[in-house]
Amino acid sequence: MREVSTVSYMSAVDIKARKKALKKIERAFSKLVKDILSGKTPTLVIRKRTLANTVFDAERGLLRIGNATLKRSFLNAGEAKKFMQTVLIASIIHEALKNDEYPTIRDLYYRGKHTIRFRDLATGRVREENTWDEQKESDSVIRDLEVLIDMLREEMLILSKEKGKVVGDMRIKSGDDIIDLSKMGHGAYSIEPTPDFIEFKDVNAEFVLVIEKDAVFQQLHRAGFWKKYKALLITSAGQPDRATRRFVRRLSDELGLPIYILTDADPYGWYIYSVFKVGSITLSYESERLATPSARFLGVSMIDIFGSDKLKKKPYLTEAERKNYIIKATDTDIKRAKELKSYEWFRTKRWLEEINIFLKKKAKLEIEALTSKGLRFLMDTYIPEKIETGDWIA
Amino acid sequence: MASEATAEKFRALTPSEFFYRNRELAGFSNPARALYQAVRELVENALDATDPHGIHPTIKVILQKVSAERDNIFSISVEDNGIGIPSAQVPRAFGQLLYSSKYVLRQTRGMFGLGAKMAVLYGQMTTGRSVEVLTSTITAKNIYYFNIAIDVKTNTPIIHEKGVYRKNNGWHGTVVKLYLEGDWTRSKSKIYEYLKRTAIIAPYAEIVFEDPEGTITYFERSTRKMPPPPREVKPHPKGVDIEMMRMMLKATKTKTLLEFLIKEFQSVGEVTARRLIENAGLLPDMKPHELSTEDVERLVRVIKSDTKIKPPSANHLSYVGEEIIKVGLKAILKPEFVTAVTRKPSVYEGHAFIVEAGLAYGGEIQPEDRPVLYRYANKIPLLYDEGADVARKVVDRIDWSHYGVTFPAPLVILVHICSTKVPYKGVGKESVADVPEVEHEIELAIREVARRLKRYLSKKKREREEAERAVAIAKYIPDVARGLAKIVNNVREEMIEKELLKMLNMKLRSFKINSVSDVVVGIE
Repeated sequence: MREVSTVSYMSAVDIKARKKALKKIERAFSKLVKDILSGKTPTLVIRKRTLANTVFDAERGLLRIGNATLKRSFLNAGEAKKFMQTVLIASIIHEALKNDEYPTIRDLYYRGKHTIRFRDLATGRVREENTWDEQKESDSVIRDLEVLIDMLREEMLILSKEKGKVVGDMRIKSGDDIIDLSKMGHGAYSIEPTPDFIEFKDVNAEFVLVIEKDAVFQQLHRAGFWKKYKALLITSAGQPDRATRRFVRRLSDELGLPIYILTDADPYGWYIYSVFKVGSITLSYESERLATPSARFLGVSMIDIFGSDKLKKKPYLTEAERKNYIIKATDTDIKRAKELKSYEWFRTKRWLEEINIFLKKKAKLEIEALTSKGLRFLMDTYIPEKIETGDWIA
Repeated sequence: MASEATAEKFRALTPSEFFYRNRELAGFSNPARALYQAVRELVENALDATDPHGIHPTIKVILQKVSAERDNIFSISVEDNGIGIPSAQVPRAFGQLLYSSKYVLRQTRGMFGLGAKMAVLYGQMTTGRSVEVLTSTITAKNIYYFNIAIDVKTNTPIIHEKGVYRKNNGWHGTVVKLYLEGDWTRSKSKIYEYLKRTAIIAPYAEIVFEDPEGTITYFERSTRKMPPPPREVKPHPKGVDIEMMRMMLKATKTKTLLEFLIKEFQSVGEVTARRLIENAGLLPDMKPHELSTEDVERLVRVIKSDTKIKPPSANHLSYVGEEIIKVGLKAILKPEFVTAVTRKPSVYEGHAFIVEAGLAYGGEIQPEDRPVLYRYANKIPLLYDEGADVARKVVDRIDWSHYGVTFPAPLVILVHICSTKVPYKGVGKESVADVPEVEHEIELAIREVARRLKRYLSKKKREREEAERAVAIAKYIPDVARGLAKIVNNVREEMIEKELLKMLNMKLRSFKINSVSDVVVGIE
């Protein structure tokens, strides 16, 4: 007879995580039920996830959520729906945890979506309303729940698409398996949605290079960059997901490796760097665990493109190359740059210099421009030279 | 004013001859109008025989085509349960114009009882058939039957047939049946409208109507409350013109001018009478019939300009009253909101009058682009010449949005003027003239009911908003209860649901939700 228990196939870390998450959800909502049964208006008190309630902790170099809270009372007509959605998502996540499932945020959206048929008492007409229509509504209450019970969704075993990848001379334990990140062939290890459950076994690297662009990551990987320069190579493939950020943070914290970030030379790239370094505004409550304040912006910088007389630096591009590679900034880019300028963590001398050159030249550049100049140039000149000479923005 | 003037003219022709030639004056201008007018006159006589005497009217109206071949000859039969007519008076009551029990100054529906006799005359003229009357007074031991025609040349009744029957069931009242040329198709809607509006102003009556197509309509009695009966009253001096004064001087039994003024008028005592006589340059002990035309003119002029005479009394006016108007509007129109106001008595040109206004909104009333107006004068519905009526002018002048009404809206306004002398416009007596005092009172009355509507509508709006807010919460109760019961051990969904509903109901002021299932029909 074969045993038909799922538990026996599940990793020990997951089982532990489930218990913890269940307890936290039950504790938060038991209080609500107690209030209801004693005739107290059920009210959820959640810290606000707004720019105004985002605080830059200069000492620790990361964004934190402030103390402003919003009260969501069920007996307030304007707040009742959000209240219901929060309870609904909590009950679905709770059920999934109990049933040993690993839902994605998309799954949660579908599980919670149903139609309420109700009678409009003023007109007597029967109308219909969905618990939610779009996934961004359920995503939003998932974030509320994270703040409410102070737990990341990954800790509640909610999965999301894997986006980040890593290669390098390193061994990790994921689930119950040991994975050698130096034996991934032409592929790479997809950073799992629950990077906290990864165990670092041993590592042979001197620094971490995080690249915004997946294509550039692949080029450097196949050219043997990480072997040659003893690096761990990571890509976030655009805006980094939480798993990639958490993984990078752990590399920095637990292995003490310096983190270098390479993005496009534009406000979008700068913001990707800042999300790795200080955290994001909408998810500021996660920065404590996700941000890597020691991360360094390696490039591509405006000075790399245009040089600087003041800093006595020559540009990496010739006049002719600039002409070919530079892209004209759009109005959105300009607007975004001005916004960044107002953020406290961008108000350093070096960053203001960067942004001001951009605003003056109205020019941006992709990393791919450097591989066009030559993969060898990027791999053997640009990156090592900048690291060696400390030519990065902290 | 028209009635006195025309009454004077009757002296040259016989009244029958006069009306025979000028039948449009009394509303018998064409077959359609004549059919409507005949129904109306007979119904009003029936009402006058009942409600002023404290009898709850029961009126039966039967309109029939006389023969299958002729499409335009009808019989009208109207039966009431009124006081009946003493048998001796029946021939003249139906067969002689200007004979009427109403020839006194009292507010009644019609004046001088001309209408019914015009109907008899018109019927006789168009069909050659005479009127049949069956009547019995309350105390009479018999029921009397008459078949009467009018001799137009001499204005005297011709009795074709008379019958006397022993009464053994206590019945009293009158049945009048006459034959006339008419046009049912073109008068149908007006006749129905007339009966409907009569039922509104007299909800204490029950009215049965059988139309020529055999359709029977029953207007139920919806209240037993009746307006106070009108009382006879002496004229007020300011309300009397030169013609009337001359007639009164001629008819009086008093011996001197002083006595005449004191006894024949209201609001005139000895001091006032002496002042008027002196100011007119006359003598107190002149014999009333000795005054010259110039004397009469001077006296009337002095009276008109005198500022010290007490205003006329309104005690004799029989208004319908707020309660009855509301009952009537509610019973017939089935609105969601109804209100009515009876104004205090007021005076124009020496005539006391009272304005009443009613308002009905919503319910089964069909929305229209402007307020629907129901006009009444001395409880008679006015159906024609609405555009010329002062009440229409007032209603159209009002900015209804100020009262929370945006058109099209289901709004009916009722305006009732009661007076011993309604200031009609023209001889048709279908519209009221723009007399400033009357117009002012109408406006105040309508604005009062409009203000009440506004209060009602804003209360309703508040309640609707509260209901919307309540539903916005209640519809989520099942999902919240189920969700919480799933997360938290040992608590039943029904328990949470019950508590949440209890809390929500505590917040509601205008209504309560009995059960969550009243709001949430299903979850799919």
